Amino acid sequence: MASSTNNYYDLYRHGSLGVALTDALDELIGDERIDPQLAMKVLTQFDRVIAETLQEKVKSRLTFKGSLDTYRFCDEVWTFLIRNVTFKLDNGSHTVVADKVKIVSCSSKKTEEK
Amino acid sequence: MNLAQFPWDPKPEAQPAPTPANGPPAAAPTSSLPATTTGYTQSTLSPQGSAQTLSLPGSFMPNNNPMGMKPEPGYVQAEPTIKQEPGLPPAHPGYNPANGSRPTAAQRAALALESQYGQRAAASISAIHSGMAQVNPNPAGQPQQGPRPGQQQMPQHMNQYRQGVAATMQQRMQQVSRPGPPNGLPPSQLDGPGDDTEEASPAAMDRAQIDEHLHAQIAARAKQMEGGGLMLPLSQATKSRSLAAKRTTADGPAQLDGGLDDDVKSEEADEDAINSDLDDPDEAGDDDEDEDDSMGHMMLCMYDKVQRVKNKWKCVLKDGVLTVNGKEYVFTKATGEYEW
Repeated sequence: MASSTNNYYDLYRHGSLGVALTDALDELIGDERIDPQLAMKVLTQFDRVIAETLQEKVKSRLTFKGSLDTYRFCDEVWTFLIRNVTFKLDNGSHTVVADKVKIVSCSSKKTEEK
Repeated sequence: MNLAQFPWDPKPEAQPAPTPANGPPAAAPTSSLPATTTGYTQSTLSPQGSAQTLSLPGSFMPNNNPMGMKPEPGYVQAEPTIKQEPGLPPAHPGYNPANGSRPTAAQRAALALESQYGQRAAASISAIHSGMAQVNPNPAGQPQQGPRPGQQQMPQHMNQYRQGVAATMQQRMQQVSRPGPPNGLPPSQLDGPGDDTEEASPAAMDRAQIDEHLHAQIAARAKQMEGGGLMLPLSQATKSRSLAAKRTTADGPAQLDGGLDDDVKSEEADEDAINSDLDDPDEAGDDDEDEDDSMGHMMLCMYDKVQRVKNKWKCVLKDGVLTVNGKEYVFTKATGEYEW
């Protein structure tokens, strides 16, 4: 899942931030206000920044438990589908419950090798 | 001499057929005969008379009888005892038994053609005749047909040939004048397969145009087929499969093996069947659901470690974004434990 131009994954593009950014860029391209190449550059920048920010700025930790419904490991990407999940956030010590969560996880080693 | 011609003169078409046809096959059996019909006079008749005595089925012409050389009355019934060929048609329409002689295959073909198609077959008949004329260029080499002088044959034959040529020429002219290609259709063929070649020859342009037109037609037909089949534009196909199915059923006989929906579903089922060794059917449904819900509850992250002991899983994740219940949580490290 590593983007071809740098060593950062582009999986965060599927998060809410990434989706919002992609939509905005699409709109700009549709209005012919920017080039698609520029949009790609923005997205690769986003990949790098969000990875670095999560790595450096975020200090929170969490644990979660649940029952694993589906697991999949393909192309160095783990995909889990977990049911009845309980997240424990250590900072506020409050729990979040979800009946179903999908986890998409890329290998952290690749980013460290960069 | 003229008397001999007299009976079959009114039937110009029938006559030439027997004459040239008789030549080649008759020549073999009559080899013993003096094939020297040098002249076209009745003198040739006398050898033929002798031929009959030699059990050759020469001429049964009434005017031969006077020759006195024939033991038989000179009619068909009398002959079969002597005949080597059994297939003598007793009386064929347009065939004068007085002409005697057995018809060859070509001759019979000509006769049949004539009787069936009359004038229109003139060309074909003349073709047969010309072929026979080549085989037997010397009309005099037909000793059997004494009563039929070669002079008579030739003109008749020529006449026929001319008729045939005239007919073909006429056809050709008609075809040329006919606005075949311009009216959008290759000229319909009413007069036999021979026309094709003639038709092709007049102008290469016509053929090209015809080809073009055929291409266009075939393309149109192919398009029609597509419209009723699987080659819908993607948007339409996905937007309303039921509509597509309706369309196919409306088209009717184009598709006999079930609607589009069925095909697609069966394909999907097949794909699932391949996976079914590993996955429960329930899971497939779940997958679909989780695709739908993926936007709602999803965690994107890196994994440091994923471990499994029997059905217990432990994983260490980092640098993740969790989206649950409309809220976003970020974490630098997460540990999960779950059972499968």
